[in-house]
Amino acid sequence: MRRSSNRKSSSASAAAGSGSTKAASKEFEKIDHLFNVYADKSSAIIDPEGIEQLCSSLEVDYTDVRILMLAWKMKAQKQGFFTLEEWRTGLKALRADSMSKLKKALPELVKEVSRPTDFLDFYSYAFRYCLTEDKQKCIDIESACQLLSLVLGTQFGPQVDKFTEYLKSQSEYKVMNMDQWMGFYRFCNEIPFPSLENYDSDLAWPLILDNFVEWFRENQK
Amino acid sequence: MNSQSQRRKNFKIEAFKHKVELDPKYAERTWKVLEHAIHEIYNNNASRLSFEELYRSAYNMVLHKYGDKLYSGLVATMTAHLNKIAKSVESAQGGLFLEKLNHKWADHNKALQMIRDILMYMDRSYVPTSHKTPVHELGLNLWSDHIIHSPNIQARLQDTLLDLVQRERTGDVINRGLMRNITKMLMDLGSSVYQDDFEKPFLDVSACFYSGESQQFIECCDCGSYLKKAERRLNEEMERVSHYLDAKTEVKITSVVEREMIANHMQRLVHMDNSGLVNMLIDDKYDDLSRMYSLFKRVPEGLSTIRDVMTSYLRERGRVLVTDTERLKDPVEFVQCLLNEKDKHDKIISTAFNNDKTFQNALNSSFEYFINLNNRSPEFISLYLDDKLRKGLKGASEEEVEVVLDKVMMLFRYLQEKDVFEKYYKQHLAKRLLSGKTVSDDAERSMIVKLKTECGYQFTSKLEGMFTDMKTSEDTMLDFYAKQSAELGDGPTLAVQILTTGSWPTQPTAACNLPPEILTVCEKFRTYYLGTHSGRRLTWQTNMGTADIKATFGKGHKHELNVSTYQMCVLMLFNSADGLTYREIEQATEVPALDLKRCLQSLACVKGKNVLRKEPMSKDISEEDVFYFNDKFTSKFVKVKIGTVVAQKESEPEKQETRQRVEEDRKPQIEAAIVRIMKSRRVLDHNSIVAEVTKQLQSRFLPNPVVIKKRIESLIEREFLERDKADRKLYRYLA
Repeated sequence: MRRSSNRKSSSASAAAGSGSTKAASKEFEKIDHLFNVYADKSSAIIDPEGIEQLCSSLEVDYTDVRILMLAWKMKAQKQGFFTLEEWRTGLKALRADSMSKLKKALPELVKEVSRPTDFLDFYSYAFRYCLTEDKQKCIDIESACQLLSLVLGTQFGPQVDKFTEYLKSQSEYKVMNMDQWMGFYRFCNEIPFPSLENYDSDLAWPLILDNFVEWFRENQK
Repeated sequence: MNSQSQRRKNFKIEAFKHKVELDPKYAERTWKVLEHAIHEIYNNNASRLSFEELYRSAYNMVLHKYGDKLYSGLVATMTAHLNKIAKSVESAQGGLFLEKLNHKWADHNKALQMIRDILMYMDRSYVPTSHKTPVHELGLNLWSDHIIHSPNIQARLQDTLLDLVQRERTGDVINRGLMRNITKMLMDLGSSVYQDDFEKPFLDVSACFYSGESQQFIECCDCGSYLKKAERRLNEEMERVSHYLDAKTEVKITSVVEREMIANHMQRLVHMDNSGLVNMLIDDKYDDLSRMYSLFKRVPEGLSTIRDVMTSYLRERGRVLVTDTERLKDPVEFVQCLLNEKDKHDKIISTAFNNDKTFQNALNSSFEYFINLNNRSPEFISLYLDDKLRKGLKGASEEEVEVVLDKVMMLFRYLQEKDVFEKYYKQHLAKRLLSGKTVSDDAERSMIVKLKTECGYQFTSKLEGMFTDMKTSEDTMLDFYAKQSAELGDGPTLAVQILTTGSWPTQPTAACNLPPEILTVCEKFRTYYLGTHSGRRLTWQTNMGTADIKATFGKGHKHELNVSTYQMCVLMLFNSADGLTYREIEQATEVPALDLKRCLQSLACVKGKNVLRKEPMSKDISEEDVFYFNDKFTSKFVKVKIGTVVAQKESEPEKQETRQRVEEDRKPQIEAAIVRIMKSRRVLDHNSIVAEVTKQLQSRFLPNPVVIKKRIESLIEREFLERDKADRKLYRYLA
């Protein structure tokens, strides 16, 4: 650590007011510096605007799934916001302390997420991330459809297309809950599509999927 | 001295050494005597023989070791005689053949007896040691070999016997005694002789005969007649056996008849057009049915064949009954029909089918099947009961009442949706109680007890609450009038029934504007009641009340009108106006539109009850109509009933509403069941939960598996349950 930068980072961290010790700030000085580029000066948190800027720096679209992956890596709690702690967590894990390193880390991140165990965690994280209110347990169907496309679109395109088509055409379900969300992922993994041959509605599949299968089979005729 | 001792020798008695040989000629001579005796015996000349001498001769021969000679001589002699007899029998003509045989057999037996007596010593000492056949048995064997199995006799005997049986079967009379003797002879000769020489061919021929006859009958007879014939043949064969065949043949010949006449034609008989099982059931042909039952019982799958055909007939008939739209227009008639069907078939089972439990079960399962095909069955059964308890059982004795109620309970047991019945029963009971229109309090209570026994306390606790309320209300009214008589003066007399919310079927109350006189006395009551019962709230149920109004029409005709509360509100308006428009009435009374229309219709459009006159005179109420007090109203009755509080079959929208409420009520019940099950089992797979829940709720209704799944998901969302992380087919209870 260079002495001159030490002072810089300590003043920077003092300005950020995160209350971290000198030792910690030493480690995170570059990361914090990067944080401040995008953070709102008064709240000291990266807000949606900041994220937009971040996206353009990363040369990634605002709605790109990689931002969501980044949020996951950061274990970000609130959609549209990154706190310093979260920023530090994420970038440290990615071993990135500059924009160029961060850009380079993205493809690695994508690969990491697509590993089955990690993907499961990411997938359920994606749902939770959308729960904006305190006691909220469900997300509305419209948002759910968008999220599905974003998160599963590449891996299970046909299923996602059909399922979202179904969801939009029916009126019984206005929201989706976590159980149904996870159920769909299981469905994609275990049931061959479009044959759906070993799907048994007498088993413990969520009812929404029973209805989807029935709708799908009806429409096939 | 020496010579004396030498001379003394031991005195020995020597054994009788020299052989007393029987002169072989002696043996030959002795044999000849015996041989001669046998001849004489066979020639019926035994009387001149000396038993003692012959016995001794035989004895001596055996003693002197001439047993072999004696025995073989016996064999030869008897054989010779038997051959002669065989020829004699063979030569008999026609019918005399059997007689001759019988006669000779009798003779032979007599001879054999005597021979055996004579040769008894040989039988006892020589025969066992030399392993020869005893005399009697020998005699029988020889008879078998030389007579029965003689080439010229064997076949002829068999044919003769079978021919006689055939003739008897076709109606001739035969000599049964003779037959008996012959078959007995065969039995005596050994059961294998009887079986091989007679029984087996007899059974074969009989099978052929009955196969042919049954084919013939079935082409030309109807089912009932065929069965009669089969029964007759069966009885005939049994009688035949008892008269001249061995008893062991009975079960063999009856199974031949059963197989040929019944088992082989079962399906055809049961399904015969115009006379088969179904026709018998329809026409209550108890005799034919009873006969069919007892005959088919004898063959494998016989009863199950009858049962299966009966079941599918019942199910189809029932299905037609419950989907007949004409019949569905009258619920009471509909239920009566079902009861009649049950009675009819109960009678058939008890009279013709020997009260067979498996048939009773088949009847029950069929009824259960088709009653539930129509989802209005619970409602209709309740309406039937309503009709009976309201007026149908009037004047009936206690026993008659019990009989009717028990029969209805039988139908109730078949219902899958007992909770729907409960809802309707409650509604109908409420109407009966409130309008005071029940035939007998005892009958009502008896019904409640029966429902309680069947479904448990919870089913009937609210119903019982309704009765309690009625009683309490009576007491309250007495007290009210006792305390308030002075204040009330001669205002209208009020009778209040105070209903505990929760016990009575809920209906949305829309208050209407009561006439001022009524309002006053109602307020007085409210004050009184709330004075004695603090912390309660009273709401007038204006849609359920009745009123008796004294009305004076033209020419001073006075009548007392029994009307509903709504009708009263409308009529009282005409005290201050002769004519009113629909809208004016609506505004003044604030009775909800649908009820108001019905109310006005019953006041103005029903012949004999038209206390109001409507312009225009159309049957339907439109909002432009004008109503007038009908001065010209007449009725031969002083008291005229115009109320509309009778329980009726629900209209389509009402039915939908009730069903919706039932479905809503079921959700918490299903959830409670799921939670109960998961609490005790902790971890369970989906199908098991569905099965358990269904089992737990089966006394009330049949839960829909989809609904169960939905409830499970709801419980997961509310964190009562979770999916097992390892095996996603399992659910786990969250404490």
